[in-house]
Amino acid sequence: MKKLKYLCLSFLFISFGMSAQEETQPERKPGHKNENKFKELYDEFATPNMFRTGSGAPGPGYYQQQADYKMDLQLDDVNSRLSGSETITYTNNSPDELKFLWIQLDQNMRAPDSKTPLIESTFTSPTESPSNFVKKYMKDPLERGFHIEKVTDTNGKALSHTINSTMMRVELPTPMHTGDKFSFNIQWWYNVNNHVEEGGRSGFEYFAEEDNKIYVMAQFYPRMAVYNDVEGWQNAQFFGRDEFALPFGNFEVNITVPADHILDGTGKLMNRKDVFTKTMMDRYEKAKKSYEEPVVIVTQDEAEVAQKSKSTKTKTWKLYAENVRDFGWASSRKFIWDMMAVKIGGKDVMAVSLYPPEANPLWGDWSSKTVASTLISYSRMTFNYPYHKAISASAPMGMEYPMICYNFGRPEKDGTISDRTKYGMMGVIIHEVGHNFFPMIVNSDERQWTWMDEGLNTFVQYVAQQDFGTKYPAALSAGDRDFPSRRGPAKNIVPYMSGDQDYIAPIMSKGLNTHQFGNNAYGKPATALNILRETVMGRELFDYSFKEYANRWKFKHPTPEDFFRTMEDASAFDLDWYWRGWFYTTDYVDIGLKDVKRLYVSSQPNEAAKKDAASKKISIDDLGPLVYFIEEGSEEYNIGIKNNEPLENSTTLKEYLMDNFTEEERKNIISPKYFYNITFEKPGGLVMPIIVEYTYADGTNERVTYPAQIWRHNDREVSRTMAKQKEIVSIQIDPDMETADIDTSNNAWPKEIKQSQFEKFKSKN
Amino acid sequence: MKSTKILFIALLIPLVSFTAIHKFYVSVTQIEYIEEKESVQMIMRIFVDDLEKLLRTRYDKSITLDESKKDDQIDAYIGKYLANKVEVKINNKLVAFKFLGKEYEDDIVFCYLEINNISDINDFEITNNLFFEIFKEQQNIIKADIKSKNKSIVLTSQNNKVKINFD
Repeated sequence: MKKLKYLCLSFLFISFGMSAQEETQPERKPGHKNENKFKELYDEFATPNMFRTGSGAPGPGYYQQQADYKMDLQLDDVNSRLSGSETITYTNNSPDELKFLWIQLDQNMRAPDSKTPLIESTFTSPTESPSNFVKKYMKDPLERGFHIEKVTDTNGKALSHTINSTMMRVELPTPMHTGDKFSFNIQWWYNVNNHVEEGGRSGFEYFAEEDNKIYVMAQFYPRMAVYNDVEGWQNAQFFGRDEFALPFGNFEVNITVPADHILDGTGKLMNRKDVFTKTMMDRYEKAKKSYEEPVVIVTQDEAEVAQKSKSTKTKTWKLYAENVRDFGWASSRKFIWDMMAVKIGGKDVMAVSLYPPEANPLWGDWSSKTVASTLISYSRMTFNYPYHKAISASAPMGMEYPMICYNFGRPEKDGTISDRTKYGMMGVIIHEVGHNFFPMIVNSDERQWTWMDEGLNTFVQYVAQQDFGTKYPAALSAGDRDFPSRRGPAKNIVPYMSGDQDYIAPIMSKGLNTHQFGNNAYGKPATALNILRETVMGRELFDYSFKEYANRWKFKHPTPEDFFRTMEDASAFDLDWYWRGWFYTTDYVDIGLKDVKRLYVSSQPNEAAKKDAASKKISIDDLGPLVYFIEEGSEEYNIGIKNNEPLENSTTLKEYLMDNFTEEERKNIISPKYFYNITFEKPGGLVMPIIVEYTYADGTNERVTYPAQIWRHNDREVSRTMAKQKEIVSIQIDPDMETADIDTSNNAWPKEIKQSQFEKFKSKN
Repeated sequence: MKSTKILFIALLIPLVSFTAIHKFYVSVTQIEYIEEKESVQMIMRIFVDDLEKLLRTRYDKSITLDESKKDDQIDAYIGKYLANKVEVKINNKLVAFKFLGKEYEDDIVFCYLEINNISDINDFEITNNLFFEIFKEQQNIIKADIKSKNKSIVLTSQNNKVKINFD
């Protein structure tokens, strides 16, 4: 068998040599650089160093800064104003000397002098509704943005500072050296935005009927910027889209709100006894032991009573959080509050929900269960959730902070809950709770790389959604067997990747500068990771490596290279080609069948051999004993060879077998009857494995995956010779649509005339 | 003058703020010309929540788009809206399309439109004004596959039509 193969090979070798000789010598081409798609990413990647190693792990010199906060906050509910006094203690763990600190003032994004609106190209629409017209042209801008009252050292001495839009530079009295700590105070206030009308990732929602608000608060305090080995200070302005880069630290926060408010946020509640009634305390104790169903701490009836009046007294809620990168809190007298426990790695974590009566029954039924299920799935894919609770608060948005997130989805006013509302609410809770892992703990730089948290998170979200559907079939609607996931399945990214190239950016782009933010930063990276897992690496290798990345970089600041390198380091998969194609270009997948030729074995010299002999000026016999392949339909082809076995067609082959093998050996020799030469083409720029399903005349089929490296010598076209016992009747490329092939019209042989989606719809209706 | 400018732009802030599950406003219209059937077939992919918001704002607050419910009135509204906002010119002549119906898949609605009796296309022009009145950042993507020529373009409210020549 081995020798038979050798014969086939030698034939190929000859024909290869011939075609090279036949070519006329072209004009000499100029030289070129290495443009091979399998070239290592040395040019794109930062050189490994003592901070970040070539393996993708933190190096021996890795450091990160720390920022600890002590804050006293006062919420003025009547005027929707928040004021605070804050002490930041900054620790310089870097080897560098720092002369100044940068502090983020995110609220200034909506200040009257904000540059956010100025970077948008605008136009005058030909018509405008009167209300829009008044809003647009006839009203003053809203009084928004931080009012920085004081920046002082711990002795109350003013510190020189400069505000540049959403960033504030504070001059240090003496430079900070490695290991130095510096504490300073900032006193500030701002008018909280109505996030429903004005937009934003935090703010209040107004309920006109009872003149009440739900506050979901974040970016409410001046926050330290990140200083690291990659960016120095990450002080790129906040224009409203690219999110945040934040150092880890400990937070001690006292929040004073109206006495009838219910509040929860990042961190442990330190004065539960002061703010809980006896009844709430009893219910809380029950909730800590309830693993199946949430226990209501504040009931709907109680919330409905509370929202009818307003207390003039205040209450202070004291929260303390360790090793978090940010702080968020939600407060309202409208809140219903429920909790349940979930075991994560032997430890109890509380899954918590805050929502107004308007959100029930949907939220009471599903919010906390969704939180609990999400923590289990993400912990399996990464590491055990390290915090003691995870809160889902109801607000018409989707936004994440450590231990707390704000999620949309409420029933209609008449009580109906559409599938879309229900799945949307579950999906957003899974997504935002998932953000606890990326980027709250695996703390990537969102200002620069949106995809690093959104893409990774959207990828795990897909896994968690499928888990959730399996765990709670009752959450699915009649007729649905799986949780419907929008992002993740390969085919869903095809409309984006096959779109107008002028409006597509590589994943490795800053989010602010991309046209289709959603597909660019969420959909495509999530799909790319899903394809990497399912099609390229396989679940076992992918999951191990992904977990390794999460564990290497939890409570640290990873860069894209750290992710790319770790995925290779832990799997022995050279993935430079994958990262290059999917993450650094806007290329798309399109692989097809160009040609399928059936071949027959013959003793008669074929045209190719004759030409070869002629060009060498020798007789055909001098080429040695050869097995010749004849192409179906070619001149040498005749019915005779078609009906005979290969051994009958080639006396050369027969003689060779007789001379070199014993009778016993000859009995065991496999003699393939069907020979094919199959040519694959790749109109798409992306390199991908070729997944082929061969169907045989007896109805059986066989799947073969040719690794992506098959394209390393020819990026346009490759071919394979097949020697088979059974006749091939059809060939299908990417039969499960798992590669996001944008044009499947070239994926089948014989060419299938498929009924188009349009015709299918027409014939149904 | 300066203050009006500031007013104008300050009020755009809500339109450019985003949330972590990003809401992006996009529709995709796939256009295919089937010569042997003399038919131009168009499939529009629209997000269900966008369409629902639009129908509620324009026609009826109580509308809920739900796959399990068949509602001819909703189809009538959609047909009316599409006829109002989408304009097709073939060989420089305005042609009418028929709204055949819609189909749901996850959070997307597929709308099927057809133009019949088109024996040849020398040029094809489509104006798409879908959703501009409620979403300023709406992008309407057009993907045409006509006479073996593929064209893909993103239409915005500032650039709401595209003309493709086949000479």
